[in-house]
Amino acid sequence: MRKYSVHKLLLMGVLTLGSLSCEKYYDPTTSINEEVALNNAEDVGTATIGTYAVLLNAAYVRSVHFLMEYPSDEVAQGQSSGDDLTRAYRYTHINTSGHCTNFWGQAYKVIAAANKIIAYVPNESSAAMRQLKGENLYLRAMMHFNLVRVFGRPYTQGNGDSPGVPLLRDGFSEDQINAITRSSVKEVYDLVISDLTQAHELMSENKSNSFASKEVAQALLSRVYLYKGDNENAIKYADLVIKSGRYKLVQGAEYSGYFKTAPASNPETIFAIRHTKVQDRAFSAIGSMYFSSDASGTAQGQGVSGWAEIYASQKYFDFVGKNANDLRNNFITPYVVGGVVQHNTKLNPSTPMYYVNKYSMQEGVINLSSPVYLRLAEMYLIRAEANAKLGKTAAALEDVNLLRQRAGLSGDKLYTNANLGSKTALDVVMEERWLELAFEGHRSYDLFRNNLPMERNYPGTHSLNNTPTTNLSQKVLPTDPRVIFFIPQAEIDRNSKLTQNP
Amino acid sequence: MKKPKSNLKVRYLVNRSWCYPLALIAGISLFNTPQAIANPLANKAKVNVVRMDQTVTGSVKDEKGEALVGVTVTMKNSNGIGTSTDMNGEFSLNIPENLVTNATLVFSYIGYAPVEAKVAGKTRFDMALTATVNQLEQVVIVGYSAKKVKYLSSSVATISSAKLRDVTSNELPNLLQGKAPGVVVSTSSGDPTSAGKILIRGAGTISAGTSPLIVVDGNIGGNYNPVDVESITVLKDVAATGLYGSRAANGVIIVNTKMGKAGKTEISFNNTIGFSQATTGKFKLMNSQQLFDFQKDFYPRNPSVLSTDTDWWNEAFRTGFVNSHNVSASGGNEKTTFYISGNYYKEQGTQIENDKTGYNFRTNLQSRLTKKLTAKVLFNGTFNKDNYANSNTLYDAYNNLPFDPAYNADGSPIDARSYKGWLGRDRENFLHSVQYNYSKAQSLTINTDVNLDYDLTDKITLSSYNRVNFGNGQSAWYNDRRTKQGGANGGELNNGTTYSNRLLTSNRIRYTEDFGRHGLTLLGVAEAETSRSSFTTADGKGLPAGHDVMSVATDVRLNPTGANEQVGFRKFLGQADYNYDNKYFLVGSFVNEFSSLFGKNNSSGNFFQLGASWILSNENFLKNNNTITFAKLRASHGTVGNADGISNFASLGLYSISSDASYSGLPGAFPSQKGNPNLTWEKIKSSNIGFDLSFFNRIDLVVDAYVKEASELLYRKPLAATTGYSYVWQNAGSIRNKGIEFSLTSTNFKTKDFEWETNLNMGFNRNKVLELSGGATVFNSGARQPIAVGHNMDEFNMPIWAGVNPDNGQPQWERVITAADGNITKELTSTYSQAQTATSRQFTGKTAAPKFTGGLSNTLTYKGITLSAFFNFVVGNYVYNESRVYFDNDGLYESYNQMVPAKGWTRWEKPGDIATHPKAIVGGNKDSNQSSTRYLENASYIRLRNVRLSYSLPDNMLGKTGFSKIAVFVSGDNLWTGTKFSGPDPEASLSQIDLSSGLSSIRYPISKKYLFGINFSF
Repeated sequence: MRKYSVHKLLLMGVLTLGSLSCEKYYDPTTSINEEVALNNAEDVGTATIGTYAVLLNAAYVRSVHFLMEYPSDEVAQGQSSGDDLTRAYRYTHINTSGHCTNFWGQAYKVIAAANKIIAYVPNESSAAMRQLKGENLYLRAMMHFNLVRVFGRPYTQGNGDSPGVPLLRDGFSEDQINAITRSSVKEVYDLVISDLTQAHELMSENKSNSFASKEVAQALLSRVYLYKGDNENAIKYADLVIKSGRYKLVQGAEYSGYFKTAPASNPETIFAIRHTKVQDRAFSAIGSMYFSSDASGTAQGQGVSGWAEIYASQKYFDFVGKNANDLRNNFITPYVVGGVVQHNTKLNPSTPMYYVNKYSMQEGVINLSSPVYLRLAEMYLIRAEANAKLGKTAAALEDVNLLRQRAGLSGDKLYTNANLGSKTALDVVMEERWLELAFEGHRSYDLFRNNLPMERNYPGTHSLNNTPTTNLSQKVLPTDPRVIFFIPQAEIDRNSKLTQNP
Repeated sequence: MKKPKSNLKVRYLVNRSWCYPLALIAGISLFNTPQAIANPLANKAKVNVVRMDQTVTGSVKDEKGEALVGVTVTMKNSNGIGTSTDMNGEFSLNIPENLVTNATLVFSYIGYAPVEAKVAGKTRFDMALTATVNQLEQVVIVGYSAKKVKYLSSSVATISSAKLRDVTSNELPNLLQGKAPGVVVSTSSGDPTSAGKILIRGAGTISAGTSPLIVVDGNIGGNYNPVDVESITVLKDVAATGLYGSRAANGVIIVNTKMGKAGKTEISFNNTIGFSQATTGKFKLMNSQQLFDFQKDFYPRNPSVLSTDTDWWNEAFRTGFVNSHNVSASGGNEKTTFYISGNYYKEQGTQIENDKTGYNFRTNLQSRLTKKLTAKVLFNGTFNKDNYANSNTLYDAYNNLPFDPAYNADGSPIDARSYKGWLGRDRENFLHSVQYNYSKAQSLTINTDVNLDYDLTDKITLSSYNRVNFGNGQSAWYNDRRTKQGGANGGELNNGTTYSNRLLTSNRIRYTEDFGRHGLTLLGVAEAETSRSSFTTADGKGLPAGHDVMSVATDVRLNPTGANEQVGFRKFLGQADYNYDNKYFLVGSFVNEFSSLFGKNNSSGNFFQLGASWILSNENFLKNNNTITFAKLRASHGTVGNADGISNFASLGLYSISSDASYSGLPGAFPSQKGNPNLTWEKIKSSNIGFDLSFFNRIDLVVDAYVKEASELLYRKPLAATTGYSYVWQNAGSIRNKGIEFSLTSTNFKTKDFEWETNLNMGFNRNKVLELSGGATVFNSGARQPIAVGHNMDEFNMPIWAGVNPDNGQPQWERVITAADGNITKELTSTYSQAQTATSRQFTGKTAAPKFTGGLSNTLTYKGITLSAFFNFVVGNYVYNESRVYFDNDGLYESYNQMVPAKGWTRWEKPGDIATHPKAIVGGNKDSNQSSTRYLENASYIRLRNVRLSYSLPDNMLGKTGFSKIAVFVSGDNLWTGTKFSGPDPEASLSQIDLSSGLSSIRYPISKKYLFGINFSF
């Protein structure tokens, strides 16, 4: 009988196999099927967090900072680098720029993620749903606006007639997306304004400044109108934000430690891209390019906590240093050894190492930072600039002085009609904008949209464009083709309908 | 009385034998069958008692008259009856009475020509077997059967253990290089913790895997150590690979591990020790003086820098030690044999702090449990410890400045961060970091096979092959707070664990029948497999100096991660194998396979294979021909599939819910993958025609020509950003590989004491993209290697470097301009963005795929002395030498070291100079180091892969020692390389990884090894 049991064993094996449900599908564990991702109100909340998470990606946060900030005259690159960020600084763009490809790609991913939610939520729904839809509309507008600034000419040059970027609306078919073309700068601004208008009307919750809310949309709307040259609307929306009472200018020591504070605890910040402690990007952080220190925040040489090869320019350092008690001096930490400011000696003449600390030491973590996108001080400056342009000098100076007082200036350091001298009100507004918003990605846009040239005459790798390389001067006219970047060649390769910038 | 009974039995078996494979293939329930089987067997038991069997005895010896132990003695055409010779070479076999008439005994033994003898009333057989000189007599495992090479319809290559293990490595790919035609191995690193890649007959896929399927001891996948390998068989054409179904598109490598032989227990020790050094070819980095002189015109330095001249390469590389020790015991009796082996392998990388330690234990047991049931239990356990090469070390070895010192006066490594006046760009002295930092991993893999073969009748065999595979791994990297890497976070630690298991069951039924001169074998297989894998990681920071466990971390650095995933396969297979008179052979098979990887609409695929061959030398017109001693024609055609290399959930539209989808500490979900529910198997249609010829029984020539056409290619298509996704998995287009390969083995000279054998093998492959879906002419446009219709898929497409403008020393590229009238003109531009456009990028006609590859070996034997030399060569391929971006870039990085210009390179200095290299300018000369044909180099090479001298003590000297074998050898790997490539090592990956191949970047060159070994057995 023993033999039979062997048979049975074998047959059982065959049977087991035959009865096994072999054709089985499995589910992933770190993803969910899209069929179940967006089916109810709770899903909309989760997916909206997801839209912010797409925004949080370094491909956006880091690359957009390099593209927007480094063309300015407030920074100096102290040594050449093979990283594409050098090309943004030196205006030596190429069409395969890694940072442009990153930024373009990530910005459209934010828009695409937002579009799914915008399409899903009807305008007539619960307040919570309307809020979430509004947040996604805000993020879509913010992305389109940043894209059109990086890849399209300033609106003020030809009233938005020049090519902008593709407008990615919700509900597009696959064919429409695959053959999308560049809309004009004006068309992009129109959609941005309509999205923001809808967004601030839909939103009603006072969410923390890590998220969009009514005032966040209004604040961006104010900036968009200013860039467009619509001063009345710029003032209108700046007013709404200022008068909402949700924000206040932080003072004194609190102001000096502005960027070390977690954004939620900062009453001046309107919108920041929140990075938590586990989202420290270390040597790949924005702050790593500007700053290197020990754990206490005391400046150290290059390579200790960061690359520290982009510094505050001598031009800006001298400008803000004119008033030694201007609190804004505190956002620069010169690297000093034995009382002597150190220089990066890779260039001749060498570059003083004025470390910028606006992207470091959040919650005590050296390279942690939640880049601030909108803050109350900018609202005052927008209102001031628009008022100055409308000839309302007193109103303009009032707002400027508010910020100067907050920075610790008083007496004759405050402007009156009498002490303006040869300067116009607009001049002092622009100066104040520079002092206040330096390193936050505004400067080159402020110059070019106001038809002003960007002038450098300080040590930095831009001098390597010159022969001899000891010639430090660089002047970029607002009409220069390189005021904007090339459309990423990889995107043109995938969609031949996209035209390239000259 | 007796005859009718046996007739009845035969009839019954014939009937039943048909129902089995059918039932099995269809997966029908077999509830009724046990009794049906039991009854006739019960009858048979009774029959045995009454019948009158005949017993035959005899002995088997070799040519020298020595007894052969473990020779298999079987009855021809009666699978179930057989025995093997004992320790004295004697055997005894009962022949059932009903089979005595016309009975023929078959004596077979591995490495010897089988002999047949008709019983014809004789009772004593004293046989002599002769060792086979002809590899055609070799038995190889093809698909699910074992066959002699000469009876195959397929293109296969077999590599014996001895041939395989001339080179010293713990990784199979490194051992296979150049050993078989059409098999191309590329080693992209000298790091002992990374293995090379194998490509058989060219790459036929875009995004799916190109690695061949490894089959260990009859089951897909599995673990083994090269020391335990008996033989490797490479299956190349579809008639052979097809049986492994849908995952055999890239060929199959069959690994068989050693089994014990009945007879005296043999214990062997094999020991190899040696040392290794990095190959650097003609590549050299500058010393202080050379760099100072190079930079003096554009970046003059204070001559005081010349007081230091650090050779960072020398600091980063060392002489590595290699040692391997193996002990094995094998033996057994007629019923049970065993092979037990333990192995220790340690190889230090040539880069500091990099090494691999491997422990392997194997037990292979085979036992004839009953007359009809044979069981094999195979156990393999592997424990590996890897110390990974520090990537900073390698990077800095190339790039650190010779002006910067490595050590303090007291001999301790300098901390470059705080060293005043450090000139190098990254302020990094890896010697300081590697004192404290590490990255390492250890893994334990257990593999157990239980394989049962049951001879249901003498014609039907039921088999159940089952495997359980467990893997467990731990990894850790640590950046101490005292180092640059760990400084900012006060120390960093990452711990990871992985777990995987794989369960496979393969159940087979085989039916063999001979009708006169007709032979037929039918095979049915049902196979199921599931794999599960999981991992977790934790990242901490703020650790006290020198303490590297998670419990001492004071904060988390990143969110913890973890996941687990599962994948399943299911396969049904039927095969018919027919031969007529051992002259004509036909084989046909059909496979249906399901995989959970694919879209719900298309998750299973059907594949078929056909093969035929004709042994001409068995025909009368060639029989006894003294010139052509063997001739065979082979042809095969069929389809296989490919499911390798795609992600586990490639077909699904997904939202990521990982911590990357969280924001502000809240869980979120974002669209991460575009779905494609129609995603299905990549299909490869393949045809092969070949012939095998032997001349004078001394020269063997094997030639094959093939065409492989892949369609419904798996392609991870990059998407325009406006779609919101990075890619989508698609079945797209078709690619063809065609080629010719041959192997020529010649015994040039043979006397009693001296023998000289030469083998030359070569494979020529051509690749062409035939069609892309949606009428597209190009996929992945803008990539260095786009997939374009009419082109080799590995062809480079990039801006064409046009040298240096003699007037100003600026770099130049070709700019292609299409005029309004369609006229195309080329002009030169020094603006990179004008050359890097869809119209200006050009196909170069240069590809990463070699025109041909091969190997040449010569073996000289004189008495116990063997000298062998083995070259491999790769010809006609181009490699993009990306490292030159860093150290050959015309001044872009004044704070990186530079390479010494290769022969023929010249630098522009003044107007009128015709030079290969632009004027050097600090900060770079107009993007001269951007992607273009400038860094595209011919990487053809020929390499003396191994030379080996060994000596085996003759028997008369061994007599008194008690040893049965003592052999010593000296061996050298990679001692010489001939190439024009400017980097340290021309080898680069020849298979596409992330849509690119032939890329050499900050390379860890392979090692030259000098080894000494001693092997003895008793």
